[in-house]
Amino acid sequence: MRCIYCDREMKKITFTSLFLERDLLCIECRRMLKVKRKKILLGELKTEVFYEYDGIFKSLLLQYKECCDEALKDVFLYSLKDYIAIRYFGYHILFVPSSRKKRQLRGFDHLELIFEGVKLPRARGLRMKEDLIQEGKNARDRSRMRGNYIYEGEKLNKVLIVDDVITTGSSIIGVYEAIKDKAEHVRALSLANK
Amino acid sequence: MKCKRCGNKDPAYFYKGHKGYYCRKCIRFSQILLEEEIFPLDYEIAEGAEEFGFDYRLTDQQLEASGKCTEGLKYGDVLLCCVCGAGKTEIAVASISEYLSRGLKVAYAISRREVVIELTKRFEKIFSRAKVMGVYGGHHDELKGDLIVCTCHQLYRYYQTFDLLILDEADAFPLKGNETLMNISVNVCKGRIIYSTATVDDTLRKVMRRRPYRTVELYVRPSFRPLTVPRAFYLPRYPALFVLYLLLRRMENQCIIFTVSKRDCKAFYRIFSRFFSCTYVYADLPERKKHIEDFREKKYRFIFATTVLERGITIKNVSVIIMNFANVFDQSNLIQMLGRVGRGTDCVAGDAYVISNRFDPNIRETLKYLKKANSYL
Repeated sequence: MRCIYCDREMKKITFTSLFLERDLLCIECRRMLKVKRKKILLGELKTEVFYEYDGIFKSLLLQYKECCDEALKDVFLYSLKDYIAIRYFGYHILFVPSSRKKRQLRGFDHLELIFEGVKLPRARGLRMKEDLIQEGKNARDRSRMRGNYIYEGEKLNKVLIVDDVITTGSSIIGVYEAIKDKAEHVRALSLANK
Repeated sequence: MKCKRCGNKDPAYFYKGHKGYYCRKCIRFSQILLEEEIFPLDYEIAEGAEEFGFDYRLTDQQLEASGKCTEGLKYGDVLLCCVCGAGKTEIAVASISEYLSRGLKVAYAISRREVVIELTKRFEKIFSRAKVMGVYGGHHDELKGDLIVCTCHQLYRYYQTFDLLILDEADAFPLKGNETLMNISVNVCKGRIIYSTATVDDTLRKVMRRRPYRTVELYVRPSFRPLTVPRAFYLPRYPALFVLYLLLRRMENQCIIFTVSKRDCKAFYRIFSRFFSCTYVYADLPERKKHIEDFREKKYRFIFATTVLERGITIKNVSVIIMNFANVFDQSNLIQMLGRVGRGTDCVAGDAYVISNRFDPNIRETLKYLKKANSYL
C-alpha cells in the first residue's frame, strides 16, 4: 500500500499498528502532521484546536478543498473521532457553512465529510444571508462574516460549532452570535488556527 | 481506465468521489473526472508574429545547429544537446518563427518562475511584433498569446493545444524523475517537441523512446572559450570550510557558492558574512528576488545559494564553488552549476572549484564530460 500524500510505499505492518486505526499516511508524513492540541478563547467562546496551520497540514487541506481530493477525508481526524465523541458527549455538531458557489464546485460539503465517522448528532438550520467567499480576503472583509449567519433550527441544549481553519475567528464568532439565544452551552472546535 | 491528462492506467490511483471517478496521480493540478471532456485551448496567431531579430550576431555553429533543428522537426522530435551557455534559446528561435509563420501554436516551457520572467523579456525583444505571454504561478489569468512562455507546472492548462513545444532543461527539476509531470507535458503537445538539455537522464530517455527523434549537438559556446574544468578537493567538513575561506579571500571577481541544503546555505552565510560582503538565496525565501538583483548589481561579492541559481540565470564574470557535502548533486546538477562560469560573449573566465567530503563518481564523470566537450574546440 502507498501513502496517500507522498506516494511512497508504506512499511509493512508492525505489531503495534495492529491495535491502532488504519492510517492512510505513512509514518514519516504522520510524524510531520502531529496533533498539537490547544485551547483558545474567541471572545467568550472556548475553542479547541488540533493542528498548526503550516507545512503538511496546509498542503493537505489545500489539496482536499481546492483540488477536491475526497480521498483525503479520513486523514485529518485520524485517531481523534472517538476522542471528539467522548469529549463532547451530548453536544450537537453545527458546521460553519461554506459558500454555495464553493459547495457546488466541489460537489460535497468538506466539513461533513471529514466528520463523517464522529458519532454525535448534527444540528441543522444554519445558513448564510449573503453568499460570501472568504478566500484571499483581508481581516476587514472577513469581519463582515460576523453578522452574516442566521440560525433557523430548533432550540438545543449543547452545540459544538465546527470549522476547518481559524484565521481571524470571525466566522465562528458570527455563528456563535446567531445561535447563542437558541442554545445553552456552546463550544467550538477547529482543525487548525493560523 | 486511463487518465486523459497524465495517461495513468493504474486503477489504484482512481478514486470514486461524489461526482464520479477521478485520477489521483495528477490531482495536485486540479480535479479531472474520468468521463470529463477536455478541450484544447483555441486562439489565433497574429500576422507578422514570426518576425525576429537579434541584437547580436549568431555564430556559424549556432546557425548550423538552428538549421539542423528546423530540418529535424520535419522528421520528428528533436533532442537539442548543447553545453551550458551555447545558446539553446537562440537555436530554437528559427524553428519557433517557422511554426508561427504557419499560424501554429508554440510554447516554451521551463522549470522556474524567475527564468520565465527573464525569458519573456528576452523573447519580447527577439519577436518584437508578437504578443509573448508569460504564464507562471500567480500570473495565469490570461493564457492566450502568440508565443507562450510558461513553467512546466502550468502546462496542464493547455490540453493538446500546441503544435510545437520546447521543453527547456528537460532533465532537471521538476521534470527529473517526475513521470506524471513529464506525461502531462508531452500530452499538451499534438505536434513536435524540442527537448533542450545538457545531459539526458533515464526518465527523459524513456519518454523520448516512444516517438522518433533526431539529435542536434553543439559543444561550442559563442565565445569559443572552453568550458571551465573545476578543481576538485576532497576534504572533511570543517577543513573544507577553512579552504572555502582561503579561496574566497583570494577571489577577485564575484562568486556563487552552491550548497546542498537550505540549512547549509544559511549556516555558511552566518559564518562568512563576518569576513566578506555576502548574501544568500534559496527557493522559498520571500526576498529571494531582491537578493539576486542586489548580487547582479554587484552590491555583494558572494552569494550562497541552493540549486535555485543552478539553471537559466546569466550573471557575468562569476566564479563558482560547489560545496557538495554528502554527494547530493548528480552529474546534470554539477554541469549546470559549473555552466554559470564564463557565460555571455564579452565576459572574463572565472574559476570553478568542487569541494566534497567523500569521493564521488559523479564528479569524476562531470570532469570527463567537460574535457570531452572541450575537445570539440
